[in-house]
Amino acid sequence: MNHEVILCVDDEETSLHLRKPVLEKAGYEVMIAASAMQALEVLASRKVDLLLTDYLMPGQTGTELARAVKDIWPKLPVILLSGVSELPKDMEHVDLFVSKVEGPQSMCEKVAAVLSANRKQQSASR
Amino acid sequence: MNASEKVNIVIVGKRVAKLASYEIMLRELRENVILAASAEEALQYLLQTDMAVVLLAVDNSERDAFNTANAIRQNSQETPIIFVLDAPLTDLEHYKDYRRGAVDFICAPVLPELLRNKVAIFADLQRKARQLETLRCELDLLSEAVIVSDGEGRIEFWNAGAETLYGWRREEVLGKHLDDVVPITFPVASGEVLATVISAGQWEGAVRRLNKGGQEITVALRKIQRSDGGGAILEMGQDISAQLQAEEALRQSERLAAIGRLAGVIAHEINNPLEAIANALFLVRCHPSLKGEAQRFARMAEKEVARIQHITQQTLSFYRESPAPISVSISSVLDDVLGLQARHLEINQIIVEKEYRDDMAIAGFPAELKQVFLNLIGNATQAMPQGGRLRISTRESRDYSSSRRGVRVAVCDTGSGIEAKDAKRLFEPFFTTKPNNGTGLGLWVSKGIIEKYQGTIRFRSLRLYDGHITCFAVFIPGAVVSHSLAQGAFSA
Repeated sequence: MNHEVILCVDDEETSLHLRKPVLEKAGYEVMIAASAMQALEVLASRKVDLLLTDYLMPGQTGTELARAVKDIWPKLPVILLSGVSELPKDMEHVDLFVSKVEGPQSMCEKVAAVLSANRKQQSASR
Repeated sequence: MNASEKVNIVIVGKRVAKLASYEIMLRELRENVILAASAEEALQYLLQTDMAVVLLAVDNSERDAFNTANAIRQNSQETPIIFVLDAPLTDLEHYKDYRRGAVDFICAPVLPELLRNKVAIFADLQRKARQLETLRCELDLLSEAVIVSDGEGRIEFWNAGAETLYGWRREEVLGKHLDDVVPITFPVASGEVLATVISAGQWEGAVRRLNKGGQEITVALRKIQRSDGGGAILEMGQDISAQLQAEEALRQSERLAAIGRLAGVIAHEINNPLEAIANALFLVRCHPSLKGEAQRFARMAEKEVARIQHITQQTLSFYRESPAPISVSISSVLDDVLGLQARHLEINQIIVEKEYRDDMAIAGFPAELKQVFLNLIGNATQAMPQGGRLRISTRESRDYSSSRRGVRVAVCDTGSGIEAKDAKRLFEPFFTTKPNNGTGLGLWVSKGIIEKYQGTIRFRSLRLYDGHITCFAVFIPGAVVSHSLAQGAFSA
């Protein structure tokens, strides 16, 4: 089966290594990156179906990464994952905001929903 | 009336020339001297204006003078009368009758110096009286309560400020004992205050006192012993109850703001590891190697983590699914929440009555609003474990205080009600009436969200003969009516 690919970005290694198997369990192929720079490198090297990024990271934030990504790959859906209480101001390039406290099942459901919406949009525009 | 103004002196008599001569004698005093040829004329002046003194020129007819004095006395008890006699005062007994009206006598020959001196005394007296009157008016203008009590503690003076502050009218308290009228209840005994005033000359501090209605008010009080040796005590009091309440409210809001800031920091620091733990537990529970009891433990751990996540989600992560406010239909938010609660409502046998008067849309964030109504409806559901009725109504309304237009949503239940002792603290963080079931954050968070919309959230709990009715009313300003809805009721 051809798995959809999710690129997971987070500066916290533990979080990243636990989020990866949860998403894999839901049937996705998961790539990881520890920073915005690393994420851009991965995106340049291979096809990715969804970007799931943390918000607060040293260097570029998740929303700054989303802006850079949408400049190059405007159709790539971006989910911002965050533990902060207030929604960042520069959300215009983010497709969905997911709180970290929603739990693994909710996260997987939202990833699936965004991917399915994106698929529909792609086939409609084709 | 200005205390330094000229005073009025009236000279009454039949012989104009005599009156004129007296007037010339008094000219040096630079007061207003008025001549009156008859008692009637003098009385007219007396009725129009205050007189410092009346000089009554007594002619041959003593009877006339007596009548004039009597008439003046009847109409103006306060005005002093000096009899100016034509003849030397020979028979004191003879003038006894006049004593009633006269304060002084001047006998012929009238010496200008003597006349001036005597009149000047009364002019000064009048000026002093005016000063006192002015002072009394000024004391009444003060918002402070000014009270003078004598050496025995009996009230001699009580200004308008004292009337306002303590509720007692001047005439009700004059002559009464200060401690009986406005007793000090806290923090020191009245006797102790008095002892300090007597020994140190003054006392200053904040006290609680009972007003006429028996309510305690907090008064900033200053008591001074008057230096005239009579032991009289002057006190000035100012109501600081409102000020203290405002300070307390400020402290409270600062405390809440600090909690809010702390919450923001904790949000990041707790939610990150919490997500990792939740993911790890999820993976552990789903791991094929995990069997029986271990799996049960993992599930328990997962449940407890979910509980923590619920707390942090209520408090620390007011996330919004859209970056800018969007048009939110109030009735669809309510229906979503009812949908989420459907199972609880069904299990608890709760009948839901919906009365959406108008379907209104407001600019906002659906998740936040959902959170508010989920809290209110969730609380109502939990208050009715034995079943009951849940009534949800919406209508277009105006804010009671600002009269801004908006939408009012009422969530009413027939549950266990709110006890009076809990009512004040209901919106405090971590205050809960459900120790096993609640985090004490739901209403606090809901209030915060509604206040962000510049709305209000209020409640009432009524005890009826067969139970309680509790209503929470949320008002959100700026609502737009989109279209009318049919009323409906359903049983969940």
